[in-house]
Amino acid sequence: MADGKTPFDTAFHPGAAVATPPARSLAASDRHADLEHAIEHAAHLLPTQAPIQVFVHHNTLHAFEHLSFAEGVERGGRTYGCRPYLREEDFHAKLESGRILREDLSAVLVDDLADSADRLIGFLGTRYRLRLAMLEHPLRHGPDAELRWWIAETDALRRFRPEVAQGVREQMINRTRHWVMRDLRVGRPRSDEPIRTAAATLIERFGSGNVEQWDTGTWEAFTLHLLWHICRRGVRDLPIGDQSRSSDDSAANAAQMSNPVAVAVRHRDLMLAATGLDSDRLVNEVLIRFCAPFLDQGLAAWQLPAADDGFLASFSALYANSHPVEPWLRELPAELARIATARLRPLELIAESLQVLGVPAEEQDSYLERTLLALRGWAGMLWQMETNAEWAARPAPRGTLVEYMAVRLLLERLAIAHLARECDESPGDLGTIRVRLRQRAVVPAATSEYQRAFVIFQLAQTIGWHPPDLWRLTPDEWLTLIKEIEAFNDVERRRVYQLAFERRYRNQALDAWLAHAPHARPTESRPRFQVICCIDEREESFRRHLEEVAPPCETFGVAGFFGVAMYYRGLAEAHYVPLCPVVVKPRHFVQEEVVYSFEQSHRRRSETRRVLGHASHRLHTESRSVLGGAIAALLGSLASIPLVARVLFPRLTAQVRRLFGQFVQPPPITRLSLERTGPEPGPANGQLGYSVDEMTDIAQRVLEDIGLTARFSRLVIIVGHGSSSLNNPHESAHDCGACGGGRGGPNARAFSFMLNDARVRYTLAERGLNIPRETVFVGAYHNTCDESMRYYDLDRLPSSHRDDFETAKAAIDEARRRNAHERCRRFESAEMDLSPEAALRHVEGRAEDLSQVRPEYGHATNAICYVGRRWRTRGLFLDRRTFLASYDPMLDDDSQRVLTRILQAVIPVCAGINLEYYFSFVDPSGYGCDTKLPHNITSLLGVMDGAASDLRSGLPWQMVEIHEPVRIVFVIETTPEAMLRILARNPSLSELVERDWVQLAVLAPDAAVVQLYRGGRFEPYDPETTELPVVGSSDDWYRGWRDHLGFASVVPESCGSIAAASEPRA
Amino acid sequence: MNVDAFYLAFGVATVVAPTALLVLVGLSSLVGWSISEQTTARATQTAVVAGLLAAIAVLGLMLFSGQRHVPIELGNWVVIPHEHFHFHLSFMFDRLSVPFAILTFTLVGTIGAFANRYLHREPGYHRFFLLYAIFLVGMIVACLAGTIETLFLGWELVGLSSALLVAYFHERPAPVINGQRVWSVYRISDAALLIAAVALHHLTGEGDFIKLMGQGPWPAGHAALTSSQALFVGLLLVVAAAGKSALIPFSGWLPRAMEGPTPSSAVFYGALSVHLGAFLLLRAGPILDESWLLCTIVVLLGSTTAVFAAMAARVQADVKSALAFASLTQVGIITAEIGLGFRYIALIHIIGHACLRTLQLVRAPTLLHDYHSLENAIGQHLPGTSGLEGRIPGRFGVRLYRLALERGYLDALIDRCVVRPFLRTFRWCDRLERRWTAKLRGGAAAEFDRQGAPAYPKELL
Repeated sequence: MADGKTPFDTAFHPGAAVATPPARSLAASDRHADLEHAIEHAAHLLPTQAPIQVFVHHNTLHAFEHLSFAEGVERGGRTYGCRPYLREEDFHAKLESGRILREDLSAVLVDDLADSADRLIGFLGTRYRLRLAMLEHPLRHGPDAELRWWIAETDALRRFRPEVAQGVREQMINRTRHWVMRDLRVGRPRSDEPIRTAAATLIERFGSGNVEQWDTGTWEAFTLHLLWHICRRGVRDLPIGDQSRSSDDSAANAAQMSNPVAVAVRHRDLMLAATGLDSDRLVNEVLIRFCAPFLDQGLAAWQLPAADDGFLASFSALYANSHPVEPWLRELPAELARIATARLRPLELIAESLQVLGVPAEEQDSYLERTLLALRGWAGMLWQMETNAEWAARPAPRGTLVEYMAVRLLLERLAIAHLARECDESPGDLGTIRVRLRQRAVVPAATSEYQRAFVIFQLAQTIGWHPPDLWRLTPDEWLTLIKEIEAFNDVERRRVYQLAFERRYRNQALDAWLAHAPHARPTESRPRFQVICCIDEREESFRRHLEEVAPPCETFGVAGFFGVAMYYRGLAEAHYVPLCPVVVKPRHFVQEEVVYSFEQSHRRRSETRRVLGHASHRLHTESRSVLGGAIAALLGSLASIPLVARVLFPRLTAQVRRLFGQFVQPPPITRLSLERTGPEPGPANGQLGYSVDEMTDIAQRVLEDIGLTARFSRLVIIVGHGSSSLNNPHESAHDCGACGGGRGGPNARAFSFMLNDARVRYTLAERGLNIPRETVFVGAYHNTCDESMRYYDLDRLPSSHRDDFETAKAAIDEARRRNAHERCRRFESAEMDLSPEAALRHVEGRAEDLSQVRPEYGHATNAICYVGRRWRTRGLFLDRRTFLASYDPMLDDDSQRVLTRILQAVIPVCAGINLEYYFSFVDPSGYGCDTKLPHNITSLLGVMDGAASDLRSGLPWQMVEIHEPVRIVFVIETTPEAMLRILARNPSLSELVERDWVQLAVLAPDAAVVQLYRGGRFEPYDPETTELPVVGSSDDWYRGWRDHLGFASVVPESCGSIAAASEPRA
Repeated sequence: MNVDAFYLAFGVATVVAPTALLVLVGLSSLVGWSISEQTTARATQTAVVAGLLAAIAVLGLMLFSGQRHVPIELGNWVVIPHEHFHFHLSFMFDRLSVPFAILTFTLVGTIGAFANRYLHREPGYHRFFLLYAIFLVGMIVACLAGTIETLFLGWELVGLSSALLVAYFHERPAPVINGQRVWSVYRISDAALLIAAVALHHLTGEGDFIKLMGQGPWPAGHAALTSSQALFVGLLLVVAAAGKSALIPFSGWLPRAMEGPTPSSAVFYGALSVHLGAFLLLRAGPILDESWLLCTIVVLLGSTTAVFAAMAARVQADVKSALAFASLTQVGIITAEIGLGFRYIALIHIIGHACLRTLQLVRAPTLLHDYHSLENAIGQHLPGTSGLEGRIPGRFGVRLYRLALERGYLDALIDRCVVRPFLRTFRWCDRLERRWTAKLRGGAAAEFDRQGAPAYPKELL
């Protein structure tokens, strides 16, 4: 700004403000580096959700994991404007229904307050007592008007609150009556003259003539009136808001932070508070319209011109020569032309905008952060496509987010200048406007006197503070009381409720674990067959049913990619997809190949598929064009047939479609290209697959993990899983998390292939792991949505094992039916009295139904993760809420090598799933993506609500609606010392544990003893009860019940003791 | 019983079935009587199936008896003798209205079954089905209407339910703003239709299509109007149709209407209500026939809309907007066909297009799944389609792209040319009034005037 004129003289013409570009000096480049750093730092706050086809669960507040859970949810809540916990009324409902008990509240409070629990508040009792009262009975809060209405129109001043105990009520009435009759009515006038007058007026109102004959009802009303009067008077003229808390810095800071206007740095926030005008609405509309085609992965037929040149260049190319009709955009073309002539780089443009907007250097970082969060879904996707999507069809170029920021700030300059003109703001530069707006902004009022009085009025009734006692309080004591009450604000209360809710479920779970111990016995005999599933909590019920159906079988759980991290391409698939956890980058490529004898038919069929694919793609795109559309529409009446059929008879239609589909399906017998001939793995011919040594390593590792090193049965079935559903943009969120949101069938197939290989077995035997010659492994794929099971490579099954397979398959089929039946108890649209067969048909229908928004409930209700030997939980009804990883502590070495590698995978993955569900449930519209109904797939990357909204990240409500937001409890079968050693060696695990993002307990390997992790060490857990209902089958326990169910032991022999079981359900 | 009695019975049943549904759903929410999802679903199913069967029965009778035009009279509901006005409720079954009614029942019924599962456990389930019932009654009344007043009644019900369905998620601001936008455009089109109705009454003394359009059954009628009268009334009808069918310059509301739940977007804006404008022009075909100028205007309007919408559909990066503009493309073509006098082709086009588009919209959320299977079938990333745009030279291409992306600037133009002047005028009146009241009160402004007047959220308009 060397030209003498300040840049702000012509601020209403933001373009003219800076005529010459800032000199590109060393200082400037430093500043630009700072800006870039600030933006990239703020980018960590953006949602990290990848494109929706590869949905991977992760902690929504990952950016806050360096804080404790309590701090993190609060800070995150403030940053995104979202709820930290459930609402208070949700917790009240849980208190009512017994999902939280009073004893949980008091236990949690005692813990939470530690030494300060007994601190006295005047003579009104302890802090603990006060807080407990505030939690036990919901207090009514609300704006003044609502409370005034409440006082005037309800029985609030005539009857005590319903929950007040009889004794407390009578005592208070009696005491007040004595006080009035003895001291206020007839006694000598003393210093308490004001209360005498008030009492006299009140007596007058209730009928002074017959005061001695008043009945209890009148005295009750009188007491309450007097109490209300004293409360009103007590809180009068006490400092309100920040001053009252000046002694307590952290509280004051919290209040400061929670006041949106005080912390607002953006013009937009201040303008909204001051005038009700929202500049973001203007700016976002333009940006949404532009971001969608900029990021488009192939939805639109006509691509954005110059999209590959970067965000800013493309934006300029599109708008530089435009003639905008909207008044606020009128200067945009000139601005873009100026930027082009001056060759302003994006960071220079940002620096210029900040200068024009008058943002002081110290506010710069938070200004950029808030600006970036104004459209956080889209900004997050830009960042993901820029940094993390090299595999996508069209990733975004490096620097996209910075350029987005440059464009956004430019648009904001225009929008704010325009709106300032519109609301007749007196002229000045944008910086001065900001200052003036801050002065004008309506600051939301702190708690009013009326509200304070009403809270104390309610508390006095429940706790039993009597009017004469309250009357004697000095103003200082009133202030102390109010501070105490306000320190236990609504977030604090919800934090305690949350702890209490978690405590209840955790105690029930641990009690169940311990009480089940007598029923849990390791099987000594050789199992008939063995099944290895994913640890996924949806497989818990499947395994339980299978064990019930076929008691001589044994099941295991291991991360569902079975150690086979690969890029996989199926015979009828176009691309390689990674099938392994997201943190792993696979080195191996595996392809499905057709066997020689089917090559001919394969070639014919794939050609047919290609032709049909091209045809339907043409139909798809051409039906949107002029001529193609007209032709399609003239014949369109035919579309009514599939329309009606698919909506009214989804399952039948699907069967017909499959019938026809058979003619183009890949041939029934295929092979995986699993064995590599070349030295190095890669995607080219000869590089596909694994060497024998690599296969052996994988086999050994997984078998060691699950502790299956001896007692192999004749048949071992490896079950991968996935989910398929229609009309569900979030389909991939139901797939296997251990396969990075992919389907784990090929992994199971590959793993069983490896284990069947004679050379692999030979090498394993050399390493001391003997797989008997007669043991055969079979891969399978379990679809958790329609509950189907597909087996691989059955053509290779030796005929000696046919009977074994038939037996196992029959058991699995029955288990599938029962599993479908158990799942149906959660679906309101499934009748309660379905038979298992009908339930299976029902879930099959759900998967094929276009109108079904809840094909399955996915990970909803997940709450526990157990790592240990299955026999310790076998027969325990865990209600599909528990991840089950198999691990045998007896086989592990002293440094817990096996357990460490299991936990390194299991803790982050399960915590990510659990926390994503927590946040999407606690604030469905803020952290989640709300209801699916208006979702609109955009750019093939995500969903918007309707045609122009922010990109919605998180989980939809229909997926999480039955979830219970508790932090996951890891129950690990090991010793406390071993666990502490593992935590000490693995900072990534200890961070989650120490900062309370997950809960942790260990189960002693040799005894039924549980220790709970608290603040860096393990403490023995003392069970509340040793009773656990015992039922004959799972069905006996869950039948006829839709909601949450407690734990139970399922012991097939004992069908008798159901009666004892019927009570503790809730 | 003779055939006429059957006609009367089935004809009345066609209209009464949806009305009964509306009464049931409407009354239950009015008196706060909560009925279960299952009851609502069953009632809806019964009403739609009954209506559909009755309509098919009428069609069967017409084919059987060879009658091509069946009026059902329900008498005069309002009579103002000295103004020579009567509100005459009458329905007409002919080759236009019967297929349209059957189409409506089929699509609305299918979507009802769809929505029953799609909206399961949604807090607004009953609200949706109430609006759904209003819509169904509106559509049936509008397409069977025998007089222009009856048509207006149905037209209004369709408009009301559509706007409220756009604003279905009323706890968020965007759907409400967009719903209001749709409503405002509908008001313009309603006003045009109302003026047309009044004008027709004034010119012919009748609102009955049968007398108005001369004797022959549709589409062979002959309007009893002179060419210039036809042009005047016809232009009003074109404005009404343009608003309802989102033709230029009202196209801006169509993508905004995608804020509601998927099933309502599908049946309302993809299929039925967007064709209602075209239906009006078909019904008023004899008027169009009277004026070649009018026909030219209709053809131009239709073809311009088709070209514009086809362009816009190509650039939309979200599936619902793309389908909305694709829908509009066909509506434009249909309008042009009507202008060119191809009445039967237009009718077949409407029916086919409505079915196709409903299926596509209902399947919109499965797009990723479909693309994935298409890619697998083809064995590579989906090929880009070769459109005309590849051959357009750079600068001009960018300009066209911008025009398409900005949806023709149509909304902004309406804001600037209609909304702003409108607001200015009324604000001026408002200021004037304040000044007068202040003067009358002796200088001091009234209490309510002094309180900080809320800032006008101008950018919303």
